[in-house]
Amino acid sequence: MSKDNGKGIEKDIGSREQFESHVKQLGLSDDHLISLYRTMCTVRHFEYMADRLYAAGKVHGTMHLSAGQEAVAAGISLAVCRDDYLINHHRGHGHFIAKGADINLMMAEFLGKDTGYNHGRGGSMHIADFQSNNLGANGIVGGGIPQAVGVGLALQMQKRKEICICIFGDGAANEGVFHEAMNMVALWNLPVLYICENNKYGMSMDVARATAKLPIAQRAEAYGIPWACVDGNDVVEVYDAMKIAAEHVRSGRGPYFVEAITYRYFGHSKSDRNLYRPKEEIEDWKQNRDPIMRFTKHLLQSEILDESQAQEIDAQAEQVIVTAVEFAEASPEPDISTLMEYVYA
Amino acid sequence: MPEISYLEAIRQALWQEMKRDERVFLLGEDIGRYGGAFGLTHGMLDEFGPERVRETPISEATIVATAIGASLLGMRPVAEIMFMDFILLSLDQLANQAAKMHFMFGGRTTVPMVVRMPGGSGSGAASQHSQSLESVLMHFPGLKVVNPSTPYDAKGLMLASLRDPNPVCFVEHKILYKTKGEVPEGDYTIPIGVAEIKRPGRDITVVANNIMVMKTLNVAQKLSKEGIEVEIIDPRTLLPLDTKTIIDSVKRTGRLLVVHEACQTGGWAGEVIASVVGSPAFDYVDAPVRRLGGKDIPIPYNRGLEIFAIPQETDIEQEIRALVGGTV
Amino acid sequence: MPVPFIMPKFDMDQEKATIISWSKKEGDFVKFDESVLTVETEKVAIDVPAPASGTLAGIRFKDGDVVPVTKVIAYILKEGETFADLPKADLLPAPSKPEITPVSQPVPVPQTASVNATPIAIRMAKEEGVNLSKVPASGDRVTREDVERFIANQKTIGRVTVPATPSARRVARESGIALEMVAGSGPRGRVQSADVLATVKSVPSPAVTNEREAEVIPLTSIRRTIAERMQQSFQESPHIALTVDVDMTEAENARKRFNLQAEKMGQPRITITALIIKVVAWALVRNPYINASFHGDSILLWKDVNIGVATAVPQGLVVPILKCVDHLGIGEINLHLIELADKARDNKLRLEDVQGGTFTISNLGMFGIRQFRAVINPPESAILAVGSVVRRPIVVDDQDRVEVRPMLSLTLSADHRVIDGIVAARFLADLVAGLESPAMLLY
Repeated sequence: MSKDNGKGIEKDIGSREQFESHVKQLGLSDDHLISLYRTMCTVRHFEYMADRLYAAGKVHGTMHLSAGQEAVAAGISLAVCRDDYLINHHRGHGHFIAKGADINLMMAEFLGKDTGYNHGRGGSMHIADFQSNNLGANGIVGGGIPQAVGVGLALQMQKRKEICICIFGDGAANEGVFHEAMNMVALWNLPVLYICENNKYGMSMDVARATAKLPIAQRAEAYGIPWACVDGNDVVEVYDAMKIAAEHVRSGRGPYFVEAITYRYFGHSKSDRNLYRPKEEIEDWKQNRDPIMRFTKHLLQSEILDESQAQEIDAQAEQVIVTAVEFAEASPEPDISTLMEYVYA
Repeated sequence: MPEISYLEAIRQALWQEMKRDERVFLLGEDIGRYGGAFGLTHGMLDEFGPERVRETPISEATIVATAIGASLLGMRPVAEIMFMDFILLSLDQLANQAAKMHFMFGGRTTVPMVVRMPGGSGSGAASQHSQSLESVLMHFPGLKVVNPSTPYDAKGLMLASLRDPNPVCFVEHKILYKTKGEVPEGDYTIPIGVAEIKRPGRDITVVANNIMVMKTLNVAQKLSKEGIEVEIIDPRTLLPLDTKTIIDSVKRTGRLLVVHEACQTGGWAGEVIASVVGSPAFDYVDAPVRRLGGKDIPIPYNRGLEIFAIPQETDIEQEIRALVGGTV
Repeated sequence: MPVPFIMPKFDMDQEKATIISWSKKEGDFVKFDESVLTVETEKVAIDVPAPASGTLAGIRFKDGDVVPVTKVIAYILKEGETFADLPKADLLPAPSKPEITPVSQPVPVPQTASVNATPIAIRMAKEEGVNLSKVPASGDRVTREDVERFIANQKTIGRVTVPATPSARRVARESGIALEMVAGSGPRGRVQSADVLATVKSVPSPAVTNEREAEVIPLTSIRRTIAERMQQSFQESPHIALTVDVDMTEAENARKRFNLQAEKMGQPRITITALIIKVVAWALVRNPYINASFHGDSILLWKDVNIGVATAVPQGLVVPILKCVDHLGIGEINLHLIELADKARDNKLRLEDVQGGTFTISNLGMFGIRQFRAVINPPESAILAVGSVVRRPIVVDDQDRVEVRPMLSLTLSADHRVIDGIVAARFLADLVAGLESPAMLLY
């Protein structure tokens, strides 16, 4: 059963009634909605702080920021269970935060410190938290997609109720292993929820120039996997689609594929000059389609929060990030004597 | 003690471990009813069922990735890659993912999986089905590369690999599958990372792997009648390599020859020689330190050419005579 | 506090950026994320957004300035703050670089500042890791040539001249054997440890001699050379020795007549050695195999007769050579001899004076030695040992008449690879004939 709202990304946020009835139908309480808001603010602040740290010369290497894609992360996290397994990609800070990572440890890893999640060995691209079934971000585009087959297989063999959520981007959908994996999860009826975060660009290549037939999610059809395509900048829509998908997968009916259309504000990585997309396009998404702005309007409109409360939550989210930076900066680097550790278990 | 084949020894190890540990399962192409391309998994589908002897589509990259994913959740998968040549299709998952995950993630997870792959020439399978690629696999820290030469070693090393928390490449040789040897019926392991002196000798150290061990043993027997005593070292594991055993041996004999089927250029013999020549054993070296590798050509189809593409007993004998005789 | 506005880093290896133009000026209100100025990196022009909302103030750089990344370029004043709140110095501490100690320390190059050297010499010494204070200066400053010469010498000192396996070197080192003394059995003459071990067996171990006290004299290069060459000669050439006794009556008479001539010409007196040399040269021309060298698979019969005269000097033994003696008269031979003897005494012999000999004469007569056997001087094939002239009674005719005559014992040591007994005998017969009847040389 596929759902493609065919409407793309709306500028108009819709009426109060529409919103409230949808939210009610989905069983989302005010607290749920506020937590979605808080999550999105936290992600937004993390990404902008990351950018500032980089500009200040404090970050070694590069980073892939997901500012603009907060709704996808927040929507997924509410729709799935805490213990579900997450396989992530390199633009994954948002998903980590949404899954409940310890921001201090994330930030420390980001700065390459020994107190970081990976003892400074991984950095931005490889953050993982095995305590919360966060199986790590992958630096190879599409690298995690076939691994989800193994995770799903193990869950099935172990007869567990958790599912595997595997998130990847529009570019990854063209890797060979994407097709191998789709085939195998369908063949073996594995509990894997594949989520394609389509932010319109691979590195610099427009998805329309890279992909023979859109939407990407329709490929799932070829493998007999049910799919949906959703407005990734509408957090409630995202939640809706993910909830259906997760339930399907958890019930043992096999895999599901959801494509979320969204947009990233920053370049692909820190060496990206944004030469491949017009400034006006970036501005348009920022001004008219920003997921946090849209959701805030709904919350205010439906009087779930007032201005000052919204700002308060936003400020708290910022403070969490600031505290994390302080923790990270005060943390020690890994000692050079530990250079050869962790190669073998 | 019963004598079984190298192939049967590996099967026995898998069988016994799968009975002992329900986390172990097999995945690969045609390993079920067909019993595997070389018959290694014959009978296992009936014993363990399709879940644990899981046949896959032809998707080498995802076969290895599935093993990775499953091992992250505590399973102990054994992936079969039908011919070692095909591991190149899985190299991202093996080298970029499995090898590095324990490290990249700061030691917070393990990838306890085994990838079995038969390599080697001699069956007329031609260039794309006959390679010896263990030298390539040695280059990825985080992987272990194990390479038994006898049925006894095969079973012991497989049981050790199945219990190792690291990703292990278990490199088999298709021509060795039929060779027989005494193998204990019970449980035993051979430590990974420890070489074995297959034959002690005083005049020269020859380091050889899989099929070259047998060939060198034949040569050694012949030369022994002339008073030339050859010491043969089988590394058994190529990564991590037991250089200490080799260095100690060269200190005693003063001469080193490394023999492998893999192409000479970039072959692991260079690794052994560099380790020895750079060590204190240097002061005991009394002859040029040499290696005999496969010719730098893809394996040809024609049977005669195929034989000459890799070192033969006559080549090994010639080298040993020259080195021991001091004529090179 | 005003918010510092830093020049951001955009690229991983970027160090600076050039300000192209400010789109806002001092005192303007700016919004967070709004573009405030455009800068240029090596790659492209970029808009720089404001880090906060507020009043732009304290702009430190203007259009066209090149600014290092992370440097403060301005401040954003928050609500209520004024220009007076602008800090005097940069608020933001410099980005901290982690202290990572390199795994391997670079080799410290010795200080060269105090040595008087040309700049090029200093640079070269530094590049080659040479301690300038150890380089001898040819002039008043250490020059590049001095450094080059020093480096070349260093290389010679450590240079491997003997091909040998590492194991052979170790055994040689441990046994105190010089590799040069060991014959190599390996390909291209390579010394293998078995070769060294064989030498060890034939050389008494130093431990035996250490039981008694001795003064240790280290070998000089001359002594070492003599030792090596004598050993080589004895090991390689099978020596045979033939002795003749010469009645020097006629020779003495001839010498007296030569000396009258010499005195007339104002030349030094002819020595008996000069005379012997002349006769030897004549005899060598008649017996070419005595003036020869063994050469592996051939024998070289030298065209020139170059006779070396073994001469004792304070440092040991030297053998200056008289060249082409067969073309020289006795007078000339005598003069050359004196000249060479002087040079030898004053240690002024040059390489050409001691090279190229084809035959050697050794005379111990002045020490009263009646007869002795000398060691052939390789690569020559023979050497003549000359004793002292002793007056003694001999049978002078076939009537068994006995007279006292001046008798000289000559012993030829010859290399049997080149010279058989009969060949040596013939040469000596000619020598005897020439000395007992010097007029023979006119024949």
